[in-house]
Amino acid sequence: MRSTIAKRILDNTPEKTRHFVRKQADLVVRINELLRAKGYTQKRLAEAMGKKPSEINRWLKGEHNFTFKSICHLEAVLGESIFEVPKRRVFTASKGVFFEVTVYKNKVKPANHKFEDWKQDSFKREQFLEYGE
Amino acid sequence: MNNFVLELWDDQGSSCSFYTVRWLDCEKSETDLFLEKFEKIPELQEPLQSLLSFILDAIGEDHGAIDALFNREENEVQGLPMHGKVRLNKVTFYYPQFPLRIYALRLSERLVVLFNGGIKDAQTNQASSLNSEWREACEFAKKITRAWLDGIIEVDSTGRILTDYNNNKEIIL
Repeated sequence: MRSTIAKRILDNTPEKTRHFVRKQADLVVRINELLRAKGYTQKRLAEAMGKKPSEINRWLKGEHNFTFKSICHLEAVLGESIFEVPKRRVFTASKGVFFEVTVYKNKVKPANHKFEDWKQDSFKREQFLEYGE
Repeated sequence: MNNFVLELWDDQGSSCSFYTVRWLDCEKSETDLFLEKFEKIPELQEPLQSLLSFILDAIGEDHGAIDALFNREENEVQGLPMHGKVRLNKVTFYYPQFPLRIYALRLSERLVVLFNGGIKDAQTNQASSLNSEWREACEFAKKITRAWLDGIIEVDSTGRILTDYNNNKEIIL
């Protein structure tokens, strides 16, 4: 069940708006989770980043449009990844044919396997499934 | 306070259901009246879409009603989503960032009641033109919270559906 008016407004909402809102919420939730896991208070994070506590509070309440630089600064201070940028990995198939997959776990770097080997090697196949899906 | 109906507003998201309130003599819920009012103002179309996406996508579908996505409580209710600033005609309203506010009562991470809202044009609810909506939302929230604590309202095993003690899904308070 969904309110008719809400459905109409949401259906007319541009995808870019919904994408931005969801990503921003993801970011706020992720940062809050990391702070909790690592025992950071807002005050301590502010000190570590050389910012005012009020500025950190705005970050954590979603009132701040993060810059790429500020996200990287946060990642460096917290020692954890906040945003992952997927990368394309090229796999070599037989007869010079290549195929690409998008890899979402960037810290693991699968080698450039030969496709035929990969097909017959269950270990590599599992690696592919783990990294490539 | 007159009687009102506590009714389901949205349960399409996988993380959280939203309820709303409707006066017994009124066809539309307070939340729908809020949306209908601000949908007609072109300058507020995008903020309204963002607010609705925040409620239905980010809370309803992705995360549920978790602390990180809610502002601090303002008496019995919490404002969604953030603070703001907007220019309407030649008047600029100043507040931290987001122009619209809708009031909500969080019963659990899977259940939220939405009320009415508006444009927040001052630092505090008391000084804002939203004062009457905020006070009314607090009154609704008090009555719902008391009914919840007294067992007049019950939640089903999924944690997503409210009923009264007679198992009615349309709850009159």
